[in-house]
Amino acid sequence: MIFKRKQKVVENLAEANENAIFNKETEGLSQGQIVFRRFVRHKAAMISVFVLFSLIMIVFTSSGVKIGPFTIPGWWQYKFDQLLDLRTEGCPPGVVGCPTLDMVPSFIDGTGMGLGMHPFGQDDIGHDYLSMVMRGAQRSIYVMVVIGFLGGSIGIVVGSISGYFRGWVDALLMRLTDFVITIPTIIIGSVVGYHFGNLGVGFLAFYLGIFAWTGLSRLVRGEFLKLREMEFVDAARVAGASNRRIIFKHILPNAVGIIIVSITLLMSGAILLETALSYLGFGVVAPDVSLGSLISQFQDSFTIRPWLFWWPGLFIITIALSINFIGDGLRDAFDPRQRRRLGKKEKAASRDQAKIAAASN
Amino acid sequence: MKLNRLMRAALAVVAAAGLAIGVIAPAHSAAKTTVSIVQSNALTGLNASVSEFNLTFNVDVASLSGMGFTYYDNKPALVDNTAYGSYKIVSKKPFKVSYTVRSGQVWSDGTPMNAVDLLLSHVTANDAYSEIAGLGDPSDARVTPAFNSGGYGGIYAESVVGQPILSANKMTVTIEYSNQVPDWKLLAPGPSPVHALMLMAEGEDTLQSVAKSNAARERFLKAFTTYNTATLKKIGKIWSTAYNIDKVDGSTNPLLLVGNGPFIVKSAVPNGAVTMVRNPKYTSGPKVKSIKTVVFKVIGDGTAAAQALKNGEVDVYAGQPTGDAVAQLKAMAPAVKIIGGDQAIYEHVDIRTGTAFGTTDTYNGVFAGNSQKALDLRTAVLLAWPREEIIEKIVKPINPSAQLMNSLMYFNSEPGYKDIITKSGVSKFTEGTQASRNAKALALVKKYYPEASASNPVVKIKLLFGAPSNTRRVSEAALAKASVAQAGFDMDVTPTSGWSSFTKNAKYDLAFFAWVKSAILQRGNVGTYQEQNYQGYSNPEIEKIYTELNGKLLTQAEIADRFLKVETILMKEAVSLPIFQHPAVNGVSSKLMGVAPSPLSPNLVWNLWDWYFKA
Amino acid sequence: MFAYIVRRLGIIVVTLFGSSFLLYNLAALSGDPLEALRTSREPNVQQQIIALTRQLQLDVPPPIRYFYWLKGILSGLVGHIDFGMTRTGHPVVDQIALAIPTTLRLVSGATVLAIVFGISIGIITALRQYSRFDYAMTFVSFLLFSLPIFWVAVLLKEYLAIQFNDFLGEPTITPQWIFFASVFSGIFWAAIISGSRARVFAIFGIAGTSTAALLSILSATKWFANPGFGPIVLFGLAIGIAFGVTYLSTGLGNSAALKSALTMAVLTLILYYPNQWLFGVSNKKLVYVLMIVTLFVVSGLVPMLFSKIDRGPIIRTSILAAFLMGLLTVIDKLMQTWKPYMETDAVYFRPVPTIGQVNPLLEPGNFWINFLDILVHLFLPTTALLLISFAGYVRFSRGTLLEVLNQDYIRTARAKGLTERTVIMRHAFRNTMIPLTTIMVVDIMSVIGGAIITERIFGWIGMGTLFNQAIGSFDLNLLMGVFLLTGFLGVSANLVADLLYSTLDPRVRSGAGKK
Repeated sequence: MIFKRKQKVVENLAEANENAIFNKETEGLSQGQIVFRRFVRHKAAMISVFVLFSLIMIVFTSSGVKIGPFTIPGWWQYKFDQLLDLRTEGCPPGVVGCPTLDMVPSFIDGTGMGLGMHPFGQDDIGHDYLSMVMRGAQRSIYVMVVIGFLGGSIGIVVGSISGYFRGWVDALLMRLTDFVITIPTIIIGSVVGYHFGNLGVGFLAFYLGIFAWTGLSRLVRGEFLKLREMEFVDAARVAGASNRRIIFKHILPNAVGIIIVSITLLMSGAILLETALSYLGFGVVAPDVSLGSLISQFQDSFTIRPWLFWWPGLFIITIALSINFIGDGLRDAFDPRQRRRLGKKEKAASRDQAKIAAASN
Repeated sequence: MKLNRLMRAALAVVAAAGLAIGVIAPAHSAAKTTVSIVQSNALTGLNASVSEFNLTFNVDVASLSGMGFTYYDNKPALVDNTAYGSYKIVSKKPFKVSYTVRSGQVWSDGTPMNAVDLLLSHVTANDAYSEIAGLGDPSDARVTPAFNSGGYGGIYAESVVGQPILSANKMTVTIEYSNQVPDWKLLAPGPSPVHALMLMAEGEDTLQSVAKSNAARERFLKAFTTYNTATLKKIGKIWSTAYNIDKVDGSTNPLLLVGNGPFIVKSAVPNGAVTMVRNPKYTSGPKVKSIKTVVFKVIGDGTAAAQALKNGEVDVYAGQPTGDAVAQLKAMAPAVKIIGGDQAIYEHVDIRTGTAFGTTDTYNGVFAGNSQKALDLRTAVLLAWPREEIIEKIVKPINPSAQLMNSLMYFNSEPGYKDIITKSGVSKFTEGTQASRNAKALALVKKYYPEASASNPVVKIKLLFGAPSNTRRVSEAALAKASVAQAGFDMDVTPTSGWSSFTKNAKYDLAFFAWVKSAILQRGNVGTYQEQNYQGYSNPEIEKIYTELNGKLLTQAEIADRFLKVETILMKEAVSLPIFQHPAVNGVSSKLMGVAPSPLSPNLVWNLWDWYFKA
Repeated sequence: MFAYIVRRLGIIVVTLFGSSFLLYNLAALSGDPLEALRTSREPNVQQQIIALTRQLQLDVPPPIRYFYWLKGILSGLVGHIDFGMTRTGHPVVDQIALAIPTTLRLVSGATVLAIVFGISIGIITALRQYSRFDYAMTFVSFLLFSLPIFWVAVLLKEYLAIQFNDFLGEPTITPQWIFFASVFSGIFWAAIISGSRARVFAIFGIAGTSTAALLSILSATKWFANPGFGPIVLFGLAIGIAFGVTYLSTGLGNSAALKSALTMAVLTLILYYPNQWLFGVSNKKLVYVLMIVTLFVVSGLVPMLFSKIDRGPIIRTSILAAFLMGLLTVIDKLMQTWKPYMETDAVYFRPVPTIGQVNPLLEPGNFWINFLDILVHLFLPTTALLLISFAGYVRFSRGTLLEVLNQDYIRTARAKGLTERTVIMRHAFRNTMIPLTTIMVVDIMSVIGGAIITERIFGWIGMGTLFNQAIGSFDLNLLMGVFLLTGFLGVSANLVADLLYSTLDPRVRSGAGKK
């Protein structure tokens, strides 16, 4: 029993020592610097940042960019809507447009690694699938960012105003939220599609964005309701801070962790929403493509030409996974009470110190 | 602790499993007699003649539970169903046909059939009778007639004269038509269980004895001949509403299920499965070989249906899938076989030649009018249409035996096809390779646009096609765009949602259409009347020929001659070009024999009586 | 409070009025109900257009038509509500009445399981933050979260239905599979329990070998063709439950609780054969009610034998254990039904279906076979929904628990010298549940709206299908019927969440606004 008690003491002391280590680390740093340091230490998040960044670079440089009279060529030779000859050589019988990507080095099969003409294969009529996937990823990332930005900003503004001011403002804004929640987004899409034809991916992203903020606004509101009752807000108010200052300088920074996580969830959800809409025929429509429209268009290819199904799927998963991990890292970084995992040495050191301290007691 | 528990559980399972007795599943040897068929839409009602209930699946179910004088086989040809009855022309002038019901048949409730059963179809297809009997004017948009039938306003109503005459023994009716209707066989009245309708109108909800049923039929006959508005209205109410059920179970009025077909509905779950069982009293058609129960399962998603077939949950999957889905079905061999075929639908491209009928949206695009320029440009775009490539890349993966279609009048399998394509002048669109045709087309375009070339397509045109989810059309359009560019056309191929509202829109210079031949009709299948096409095309000569075709009974040779005349004009004026017949693919469990889909309704199930399972 | 709720309900009605009016007009503008007819080439197409215009009142402008519809709804105030007819001529009310239970059946199981699994895994990952298990679960849950459902469905159907049914034809497991399964199970248990390196290896070894042994025996005896526990295994599992439940609820130190839970296990064994007989009795309802009552009475009374003080937690433990053991007995009965079920003509040795909600060919009458039929039809869709939805709960409960664990009151509880079990279960877990509850409320109410894609892929006809059908065919009455229900639930979910939140967490003053 006594031993157990002692164990406890050692643990508590060890915790105190760990605290000391953390405090020392963060001494003299601004909030932003602390967050940044914490974030950089989150391995999964850092890997995801790297992956996502490279993926975006690869995807957006694949096709050329036209700036005024100048055209910067992309790194890939074909355009997504360029009709090419359907390649059949090297394909299994009955299959056309199989991928030429060869990942097996030459010392195994003698052909060597290489992209070939159509690394991801071709679709039924001869479009290069790599350029389609790149185009699709561009579209999907675009949709995702627009939804994240629009949904995020509307959600934050509505949620913080309504949570902070409460009363009739809150009631009004929350009823507006209810109103938006009840209108199915698909309807708007089909009304516009019917009357104005195909307005393209920009419009799709826009209207999904202005409908996607309801969950976030409720969350932010809840956070504001909680935080506005905290002592530090009272303190700021007593010190004569304006509402604007309290909202932006005092409450929002404290809620930013949960907001960022929600926005990342919203963004990875957006890519899936677009996929689902494409499956139901309300998403990005041909001849334009998105990852979602590709994967739903080629879902039958699953057993026969699996590459048509797996490539866009792989991109969807990679993007969604990276964003979620980044969100996870940001959440941990913004949480003032969260600690990083101590290295073994540091842990041992603090434990030893604690033991000495306990013994000397 | 957790460890111990895991260990203990594992040990216990091991011990018990040791005690368990291995049982091997006994092999089943008896052949199945139950067939499951995929349906993409749900049953909405049992009476497919009610307006808005004439849906594919309703028709399938109705045709399995009711037999008449004729049915279509898979050729498709109209077959005389002598097991039910016979018909003959009794007089050419005036044109009179008699229809005789074979005696000795009974409805599924045991009531003997006679020709009184045929009279109801007169009530539900003849606008004049409806008005005389005080049942409402079917052409009046404000009121629903007592019989809310989808059959009003058709050829029958246009051409029937007076009322049908019942023979003394009540086994024959004779009907007079105003002219020699070419499709007179199709106008044969269909039998309805009028005794059941009468009984239901009188409030019965159980099957009655034969004597009572016969008496009820006599009461119907009396009401029919005396134009008894009140009684007929009661029957009309039952006919129009009582059958519109999507749920059938033990509590359903059995009178609603009375039929003379090989199968009778036993149960139906709303939006879900429909089960039909053998009608033991059935003698009104070919003998049923082996199937005792038919289950239709509603599956909207093609991949899901294919997987269900693979899993043995369904035996037949009739669909219009993608090439990959077909390959997927093929990969399921030997458990699954593919029965390919064509649907009675053909894809064609139509060019706008003028302002569409009934609209003020004036068309003055490049193809408008009869000028040499418009004609040349129309010819050029049709020449450059990559029809062979479309077949090769889009249709063949689904139906390997698909062929280029070269006639708007006949399907490739029809007897008249070979003759018409040699004479109609379609050869100018088939000669040479696509490259040489493109070159010809470019030369035609250059006459008016000297600067045009493959790299500089200057003639801007816009293609109308719909349904953004229809990937086949999207692919077709992409191929077409690339090919017509070779001839100097710059074609806008953005798909249009809600395209049906744009069919007469002058912004579009040409359009993809798929038209259904719902029956083998003599009047042909091209919308060449001004009201019937959306392209503003009109030619008095063609209209004259059609008027003749519809009014006179012609021989096959005469009809073929008229068709050739029409088609020659269409080809010369370059207004429309057929591309392919829509492929139909049926994945069938390899044990199920006898499936031979027909391109016409009821496509798959028309010969269910011939199906059987190998043991 | 009452006044507040009434006011909110009033506002809900106004909101629904506004959004229904908007939706009605939008939907009317979203397409042409006559589309199919306009391109039809049947001779009497004009007649059909007239008939349909008449049926759908297309000659009345939509804003006015809306009030015709509203009149039908408002007549509900005087007793006979009228949702109108669908385009296919059936009362909307009937369609919805049939769709609701279907949707509930589809989503309730998945939601409950997602909540249970999600929260349990979330808690374990939070307690083992930054462990291998945490990383693995984070990865897996994000991965599942990133998968489109139709993709998951295709894979599940292929492997869990088609190939599993093939496997059942010859139910022996190949050595490779046994190997992989054993390694997987070893890694899983080693990761979840963790500890010193030697311990991890030991756990890996034990879990791996026992899985291999178990699978080999199951394979050799062709257990999958005719599964079941039998009384002995059932007893073993019951003892496991007794220990587990006691550990979680009171701790194994409470011998009275452990004794009563073990008594329950013994009773499960003794009652095994009588239960089998009872399951076969034809008057099901009465028997089952009696069985459930007996279960609760007995499990409530047994603890009285072992303890005179502090009976509450002991009774709780006992009832929970008894309930789980009863469930086990039912599962055993279902397993015994497996073989006769497979042998029916309707199933024909391919028991796991990929589509539908019941087997239409199965004759009604045999309660257990029909019950099993419903369960196997639920299997795939539930799994698919579970896989993609539980990730959210994992992440959320992990985050919340981590936050709670850093609170001062947890530190206080620990400082008091409470056991870790008590700190986690009593102090941390309960506080974690507060925000989770509100999320669950919103989730549960919004799933009634149906899972459009899941329903479509698995051939179920629920609210999602109706919604999709209504939009596809411009069926306004049906759309509005579906909308009224889902919209109402969606809006009132927020009300319930608000109320719950302020009730559960007194720090939050959301409720009545001005109090």
